[in-house]
Amino acid sequence: MTDVTAAAPAIGGRRRRPLSHSVLIHAVLILASLAMLYPILWMISGSFRPQDEIFGSTSLIPSSVSLGAYVRGWSGLQVSFGQFFWNSLVISVLATIGNVFGCSLAAFAFARLNFTGRNFWFALMLGTLMLPYHVTLIPQYILFLDLGWVNTILPLIVPKYLATDAFFIFLMVQFFRGIPRELDEAAMMDGCSPWRIYRKIMLPLSLPVLATAAIFSFIWTWDDFFGPLIYLNDIGTYTVQLGLRSFVDSTGQSDWSALFAMSNLSLVPVFLFFLFFQRLLIEGIATTGLKR
Amino acid sequence: MSVQPTTWVEGPAHRPVARPKGLRLAWGRNAPAYLFLTPWLIGFFGLTLGPALASLYLSFTDYDLIQAPHWAGAANYVRIATADPKFVAAMKVTFLYVALSVPLKLIFALAIAMMFNRGIRGLPIYRAIFYLPSLLGASVAISVLWRQLFASDGLINLVLWQLFGIEGPSWISNPNYSIYTLVILSVWQFGSPMIIFLAGLRQVPTDIYEAANLDGAGPVRQFFRITLPLLTPVIFFNVVIQTIDAFKAFTPAFVISSGTGGPINSTLFYTLYLYQEAFSFLRMGYASALAWILVVMIATFTAISFLSARYWVHYDD
Repeated sequence: MTDVTAAAPAIGGRRRRPLSHSVLIHAVLILASLAMLYPILWMISGSFRPQDEIFGSTSLIPSSVSLGAYVRGWSGLQVSFGQFFWNSLVISVLATIGNVFGCSLAAFAFARLNFTGRNFWFALMLGTLMLPYHVTLIPQYILFLDLGWVNTILPLIVPKYLATDAFFIFLMVQFFRGIPRELDEAAMMDGCSPWRIYRKIMLPLSLPVLATAAIFSFIWTWDDFFGPLIYLNDIGTYTVQLGLRSFVDSTGQSDWSALFAMSNLSLVPVFLFFLFFQRLLIEGIATTGLKR
Repeated sequence: MSVQPTTWVEGPAHRPVARPKGLRLAWGRNAPAYLFLTPWLIGFFGLTLGPALASLYLSFTDYDLIQAPHWAGAANYVRIATADPKFVAAMKVTFLYVALSVPLKLIFALAIAMMFNRGIRGLPIYRAIFYLPSLLGASVAISVLWRQLFASDGLINLVLWQLFGIEGPSWISNPNYSIYTLVILSVWQFGSPMIIFLAGLRQVPTDIYEAANLDGAGPVRQFFRITLPLLTPVIFFNVVIQTIDAFKAFTPAFVISSGTGGPINSTLFYTLYLYQEAFSFLRMGYASALAWILVVMIATFTAISFLSARYWVHYDD
């Protein structure tokens, strides 16, 4: 990413700016960065403080480091956070696979195959992008209730295999269209079936967009609160997000350091994605205008 | 498509294809595509179109999940429009939230993006720092953190006390302030519109600025006469996306108010009210009507945005 930004023309970059000017900009940016990160750093340091020290201190350095909050938090509810993490992981991984699989199939058809009614279905697909999920929420709930799926993870993952996240279809169609058509035309000449073209040509050449879709899928599913809130009622099936919310309600104001400890742990997977895939995340946003 | 192989004489000479064969061709051409589309088609009809129509129907009924839906005509909509103080409260809270959080967020995003765009050293680090909150912000952990930051003995009041000797109120349990804590939480996550602005700023050709410099236009004039007009497509995009997103906000209000939308409905986001009606009170018909009103609000906003775009968004051809 560094080289991209360095190569990009900057507004007024060719003008010579006085030194004081750039010192001022750095000062503003550093102050703003600190203000942005301070709450998060404070939460991290709060989780390592002795239980009685979290209030009354704005400092980021605890007087003594203790892991007690993590121990208390981990088993702070009747079901341990280990279970919540496991549930979240299972749901996120299965949902991610579903999104990549379901959406890439549809995207391949839209981007590469000629068929009657293609524009019609494509327009409908784009239309679903604009539809807030609230209008489908209640009938979907009734449907899953009738199927006996409430309190299982199925309502949270099966829709992904049916490509209901139209956004990812759109993302992949855009990418697939950029792959030279000569490749699949040549393969078609050689008698390759569409399935083989999809498997052997499109997917291998589309790893960047598949990775972007997978990463955003995972993060969004991991962070999702509304879906699990509606479909998972039994504490044994809770995701981390639901576990945290119950923890807030059960500990109230009493054990903030344990709450912070579990909050920090819940952010670790997202943070790791941020560390390792920052370039993909930022490019994904810059080119497609994702909202977060 | 009728089969008439014997009368087929007017077809183009280079395509002497009889209809049955044409059908077979059409099948051969379409079948693989529709196989690829099958999962999406099932999802579209079973989980999107079907449920959307069902919810439109339910919005004209009383339905509690136990007894069969009971046709109520427009009663739900009439009650929402005339006799539902909680709906009025939810609308006020939601519109205040949208009207404050979206412009503030975009102003911060643009301001920081402008600073970055001046070819600054350490840009990747700064950008990562400013982007991080918008990536983490959607999680319950950050809502939990906010609850603590703005509690009566929280970090904000601690800082106010230590720096200025001011004893702050309990921001989240005071109905006058609680909504603003949620606005601040939203503005704090300005990272992704910032990245979109940054990408947009890169598209602005530098020679325009050079010409403006030669003509003696100062930085303020350049901003209002060059940068801002050329950036209007990106601003438009960000406004639409962020506004729709703000209408749908749910998690922070739910976590910070423990699901109540309190104190005194001061954080009762529209979606939170919808959730309560549906899943706390099991008024599925009423909640469906609320959902359709949300759709109409979002659609109206989107339509107005697109109609207004021709007056203020500059597209270079």
